[in-house]
Amino acid sequence: MDLPGYYEYYCGVKIIAGHDALERIPVILQDLHACRPMIVTDKGVAGAGLVDIVLGAVKDQLTIGAVADDVPPDSDLRVVNRLAALYREQDCDALIAVGGGSVMDTAKGINIVVSEGADDLMKFSGAGALKRPLKPLVAVPTTAGTGSEVTLVAVVKDHERHLKMAFVSYFLLPDVSILDSRMTLSLPAAITAATGMDALTHAIEAYYGLSKNPLSDATALAAIRLISRNLVEVTRNPSDREARLAMANAAALAGMAFSNSMVGMVHTLGHATGSVCGVPHGVCMAILLPYGLEYNRHKREAIMGELLFPMGGSDVFAGTHKEQRTDRVIAYVRQMNQDLHDASGGRHARFFKEVLDREGKPAVPRGRLPDIARTALGDGSIFYNPEDLDYDDFLMVLEAAWEGVALDSGRIRK
Amino acid sequence: MNHYKEMQPGSKPIKRAYVALMLWFVGRAIEAAARVDGVVKAEFDGLSPGFTFSLGVMPQGPTMIVGKDDQGLVRYRGWDPEGQKIDLKMKIKNLEGAILMFTFQESTALATARNRLIVDGEVPAACAIVRVLDIVEVYLLPKLIAKLAVKRYPDWFFGEKIRNRIRIYAGAVFGL
Repeated sequence: MDLPGYYEYYCGVKIIAGHDALERIPVILQDLHACRPMIVTDKGVAGAGLVDIVLGAVKDQLTIGAVADDVPPDSDLRVVNRLAALYREQDCDALIAVGGGSVMDTAKGINIVVSEGADDLMKFSGAGALKRPLKPLVAVPTTAGTGSEVTLVAVVKDHERHLKMAFVSYFLLPDVSILDSRMTLSLPAAITAATGMDALTHAIEAYYGLSKNPLSDATALAAIRLISRNLVEVTRNPSDREARLAMANAAALAGMAFSNSMVGMVHTLGHATGSVCGVPHGVCMAILLPYGLEYNRHKREAIMGELLFPMGGSDVFAGTHKEQRTDRVIAYVRQMNQDLHDASGGRHARFFKEVLDREGKPAVPRGRLPDIARTALGDGSIFYNPEDLDYDDFLMVLEAAWEGVALDSGRIRK
Repeated sequence: MNHYKEMQPGSKPIKRAYVALMLWFVGRAIEAAARVDGVVKAEFDGLSPGFTFSLGVMPQGPTMIVGKDDQGLVRYRGWDPEGQKIDLKMKIKNLEGAILMFTFQESTALATARNRLIVDGEVPAACAIVRVLDIVEVYLLPKLIAKLAVKRYPDWFFGEKIRNRIRIYAGAVFGL
């Protein structure tokens, strides 16, 4: 293994995983000297009965100060400030975030405001603004993908000023993350597939990116192994509790990997596509991941070849010639997208021209690809990508991903 | 009660002087490159009017400051941030990190990946400035060294590269 000359790694989140992990919440909060938490969630999660499961697991042992179930799909500054006021009114002393990325970000934002005794979150944006620990935060993810239950970042949008503010601090890491199979059992097949591919992308980009290190490699490889063995299976059979728990673990492991090793061009283009066309993040990741591998392979051939071991298992790895392993890794990811497409009844998109919006129209018109490429030029994740990309490179990748054809290796500038 | 002598960190004057010289030179080269190279000019044109950035070493410098003037021309604005409105601050965490960067043992991208840089400001602007720094490094350095400093060495026409290189060196050294 090539050790980097220098790296940094940190994950200070206690993970509690199991089919009945939620029942541990009262003891966890007691250890954190809290007894009156506020639950932060969204209408979808509450409507699916997941908050009831949490309440059922902690009843008789804990007083819930408030249940705020109106977090919007995009985290919102006004909502954060309003819910912080509710937290104070109800005399709460901890937060339990039950949901996906937006809920986690909102809970982290609320935590900054209530812990700092402030009235406006925006005073604490950027890196290094937080100087002390915040109130106890317990994260209960309801998707297996984003990894935000183990990340130190919160993104909150100021919709009035059209600003997206990032808050970065080790104090934003949840104290505890609960990975409970009951939280993802009702997730629809297409969302299961897309969020699972998001986790796979976190792990793979962390593994071949510029910030890779032995510790994030270990969690990335463990995540890839779990996802390879469970994602298609759980998409076919959503009530498979073991596979659900495996995916929850995989997403957290991938989260640990990418929050330390960062991500690259798959996320750069995914953020831009999401921003320009409103395509869900996981869908973008699934479509773009094979192109990240193809584009960077001349810089990372040997490292990418190692991914065949957790993906295909020891027999496949040993039986594949070293020079063919990266080809098989890329083929494996494409086959996974095909299997997920079949398992979800065609709802998992394999390329951009297949993605539809809520009205059933194409969500990524070909004419918008130049806009996406221009937007990608301003995304910081590109710093961590092994190979450079300019506007023409971004457009070349987007056009291939739109059509669903492999990159022409002769067009990749080296 | 024991009395302990207060220890002061070494000031490393030679390394500091080397980094200061490099920052001075790169800052002036950016000003020249914005006149000579169309891509560098376009990157600055895409930034807000009066945009100014600094690149420096924590905690006490050295630093270089480059910004657009009222006419939109790119100017090297010296080393002192006092009294200057700086939109983007790029800070190398310590002198040793700066030495690694400016002796080209580490590319800008690798330095970022190794968390040696703190960026205070808009990320899209930081991306544009890193692209500018990469182009300027390719002009200033021999190919063998520049290939260590950038992710991908650009495929430019040889004659144009040499012509621009001479103009940028003349601008950086003599202010022409």
